Amino acid sequence: MSEALLETKPKLWESALETIVSDDGALRVSSPDTRVAALDRYRITTANRERPGRYWKLDLDALDERLSNLAMAPARANFSGGTAPALVLCDLESAIQGDAAGFQSAFGRAIAHAPGKYAALTQALQRGGAFVHIPADVCVDEPIVVTYRAENRTASFPYTLIVADRGSSATIIERHEADDGNVFVSGITEVIAHDSSAIMHAAVQRLPEDAIAFFTRSALLERNAHVSWSAAELGAHLTGSTIFCAIEGLGAASHIAALFFPHGEQHVDFITTTDHLAGESQSRTVIKSAATGNGQARYLGNIRIAATMHGCDASLKDDALLLSPHAHIDSVPALEIAANDVKAFHGATVGALDDESIFYMMTRGLTRDEAERMITLGFFEPALDHFPTAALREELRQELARKIAS
Amino acid sequence: MPDRGLRISGLRVSVAGNDILKGIDLNVEPGRVHALMGPNGSGKSTLALALAGHPGYEISGSATLDGLDLLAISPDKRARAGLFLSFQYPAAIPGVKVSSFLQATRQAVKPGDLPPAKFRQLVMEKMDLLDMDPSFLGRYLNDGFSGGEKKRLEMLQLAVLAPKYAILDETDSGLDIDALRAVGESLGAMRKDAATKEIGLLIITHYPRILQHISADVVHIMVDGRIVKEGGPELAHTIEREGYDSLREVAAVSV
Repeated sequence: MSEALLETKPKLWESALETIVSDDGALRVSSPDTRVAALDRYRITTANRERPGRYWKLDLDALDERLSNLAMAPARANFSGGTAPALVLCDLESAIQGDAAGFQSAFGRAIAHAPGKYAALTQALQRGGAFVHIPADVCVDEPIVVTYRAENRTASFPYTLIVADRGSSATIIERHEADDGNVFVSGITEVIAHDSSAIMHAAVQRLPEDAIAFFTRSALLERNAHVSWSAAELGAHLTGSTIFCAIEGLGAASHIAALFFPHGEQHVDFITTTDHLAGESQSRTVIKSAATGNGQARYLGNIRIAATMHGCDASLKDDALLLSPHAHIDSVPALEIAANDVKAFHGATVGALDDESIFYMMTRGLTRDEAERMITLGFFEPALDHFPTAALREELRQELARKIAS
Repeated sequence: MPDRGLRISGLRVSVAGNDILKGIDLNVEPGRVHALMGPNGSGKSTLALALAGHPGYEISGSATLDGLDLLAISPDKRARAGLFLSFQYPAAIPGVKVSSFLQATRQAVKPGDLPPAKFRQLVMEKMDLLDMDPSFLGRYLNDGFSGGEKKRLEMLQLAVLAPKYAILDETDSGLDIDALRAVGESLGAMRKDAATKEIGLLIITHYPRILQHISADVVHIMVDGRIVKEGGPELAHTIEREGYDSLREVAAVSV
């Protein structure tokens, strides 16, 4: 992009930053210098993300202008569900004000592995957010539900930091919702999983279908830690979603399951990256996407195993289903493997519904619509399987069924 | 009811410009077992798929089910009218559990006729007859099934859906002796059950093996897209002894 064009841009985010500079609580979480540097990173990072897809036609650099009528709002997290003795659930300002254990050393540590334009924007403008701290050896049985409800006509930057101390375990369901479509949400979720901890995180994004949403989720895994991400990007007009796993500890294991289903005019851009930075580590990635109407999606899947990382085991499977002639899904799995005593697998498919399968089901009395609905829902099942509760899986099935019928 | 039966008359089918069936006349009577035999490539499977409503076939002639014109309606409506096809190669549908599929299909062909508890009981009984483990219900439809498992699941669907007429397309091929016996017992039980004893069966097979477990009332021999011979159960034994070669000559003469 030319310098001249940059200068004519409305300075939407810069003025947003100015309002934050008067917010003491927010500044304690992240200093003005840090925020200004992050906004600079946002400005110089190309909007088309690292590798533009064939069908990714939205000009993200023109987004700022479109958002100029939005007010900045702190991201208020609502907590429900799981509790346990000494479990900490609060917003980031309270965490730092109360000098919460585990906060300072964790904040920003996982997201450092996930550089990206919208991660930088969220780092610059973050306010509110949520801090979840599971102390050592504490198991939270019931899922902790963190709900962000974006206010009408606002831009918000929900930042969720989850710290799992040694030997702890918990399930966190993070929901993003809004009543009005005229919202911009750019969120970060960080998971710091210390030795032998187990975190299951499920992200359910059901924003109205003219919202714009970006999410960067990054986990850092120490020795023998287990982190499972599952993400359902179902709402918003435009969704840019990124999941990182930095496996730093021997014997750690990560799991990513994601599903997305753009319909109508929806766009989804989804990236997963798993970095095996320690030996004997395991990763699994399962991506299921479908598109109908004029829905567009792109998936980039990266697995990296450096030369000295021995005994790693990685697999990446992504399947895409096209349900209309105008729908597009671009799928680019990439394995960069320098070590030679590792197990690595990747497989990708893009296809339409199988006519023989539809015929088979119709010979059992199901209408074509019923057959297509069952096959499509079944297609998502391997990813749905990783979402934590039966009620959540059923909610997602209903939403997928609604999209199939649209 | 004068019109009962699965009545096929002058049925011609071509697939991608090739004439496969060249005028088939065949009646399947309620409560009777018909065997349709013939060498590979004679058109038996095409007949089965055409009757079930496979898309992409060019069809002329007529086929009626208890007087209803089958050729005018879609495959799902044929099923709801009481037709069932046991596929030679059933499709695998990942992510769709056998239990929910059975429930949805029973609901489609016989809406609201059984409360859920009765339905479960019915499924369990039918599985027992087929020597099927209840764990089948939690598996995805034909996904990763062995050939024998697929055929048993076809027979389970047949028993659960309880149609008026069923076509079994080489259900016996790829079955070991125990599975074959289980299939025979399941069919035998259906023919004794008051609800299904009127079922008309069209059993397509290469070999008369399956007919040791369920005896045919009528045997039809198809060669090169035509029915060349019909007879009683003894015809199956003749075929077993002599093969199809003598009948091929009949077919050639009748061209």
